[in-house]
Amino acid sequence: MVLDLGMRLGLSVVIGVVAGVLLDNWANTSPLFTLIGVVVGVGAAMYSIWDVARDGMKPR
Amino acid sequence: MPEEAGEHGESLIHVAIKGEELFHLGPIAVTNSMVGTLIATVFLASLAFWASRNSTVVPGRLQGFLEFPLEFLGGVIKAQHPTRWRAILPPIITIFLLVLAANYVGLLPGVGTIGLHVVEDGHEATAPVIRPASADLNFTLALALIAFVLFVSWGIRANGLRGYLKETFVANPPYMTPLMTPIHIVSELSRIISLSMRLFGNIFAGEILLAVMLALTFAVVPAIFLGLEAIFGAVQALVFALLTLTYITLATAGHGGGHDESHETGEHDADDVALRAGAH
Repeated sequence: MVLDLGMRLGLSVVIGVVAGVLLDNWANTSPLFTLIGVVVGVGAAMYSIWDVARDGMKPR
Repeated sequence: MPEEAGEHGESLIHVAIKGEELFHLGPIAVTNSMVGTLIATVFLASLAFWASRNSTVVPGRLQGFLEFPLEFLGGVIKAQHPTRWRAILPPIITIFLLVLAANYVGLLPGVGTIGLHVVEDGHEATAPVIRPASADLNFTLALALIAFVLFVSWGIRANGLRGYLKETFVANPPYMTPLMTPIHIVSELSRIISLSMRLFGNIFAGEILLAVMLALTFAVVPAIFLGLEAIFGAVQALVFALLTLTYITLATAGHGGGHDESHETGEHDADDVALRAGAH
């Protein structure tokens, strides 16, 4: 799981930004959705850390 | 795929990120990575056919060798899912063996070096007849999507459709839902992309490394890298299978509950429950 975390941190931000830029291009609202995408992407990256940590903290 | 280019030193190594079309079979374009996938599949199918016909209670050398990955992964899955391991084992072991065979196709002699003349974008080019399946993003992405369907379906099976949707789309506390739902969706998407890109990147980079070493050095040096690639191929297959298993574990555990509650049950009890679960 930890092997996967590094990649998911980066990819989450990339997915958020790309989705934001595409939405901005489509709706002509630059830079609104790009900024939202950055926040969501970074949030998703943090959530991934929480996801791994929560799994690690569970009693086995 | 890398290949040595013309005599006038245009470029020593040619790299194609996507699989190259060899010929058309009706509307379907057959690429060289499809040939690689076919080799891996035929190899695994014939091995399974042989093993199912010639298996004995006391395994011989080959049977023991074939049973090793099943026993190893079976043990790992059984430790995490004492009640469901019989149902989870087949897809995980299939993914592991297919990825392993697909990775090792790239190490066979002739793969990437025997070419076929094809017409690409109006000009003639040489495309390798066989390309290892995992060095094509189509294959790895398809496998990652299958893994995604697997862990989502296990999540639904364990928590019910309502429970799964609630867990995925409704945050706790509920007023955080507008913020958490997009975050959750991006996080799920990142799983598919990270699974597929990791395998593709590792095997594709390995193929290029081998080609570069073959072009720049003499016989002994590429052999060292071939050995390394054999290790990386096994590690990547294991990583892919174990990550799929981890995602299934996360999906079935649920946020509120723990893992399977039956850790304390005896092995026979767990087997009985698994058999009953398998009968559904």
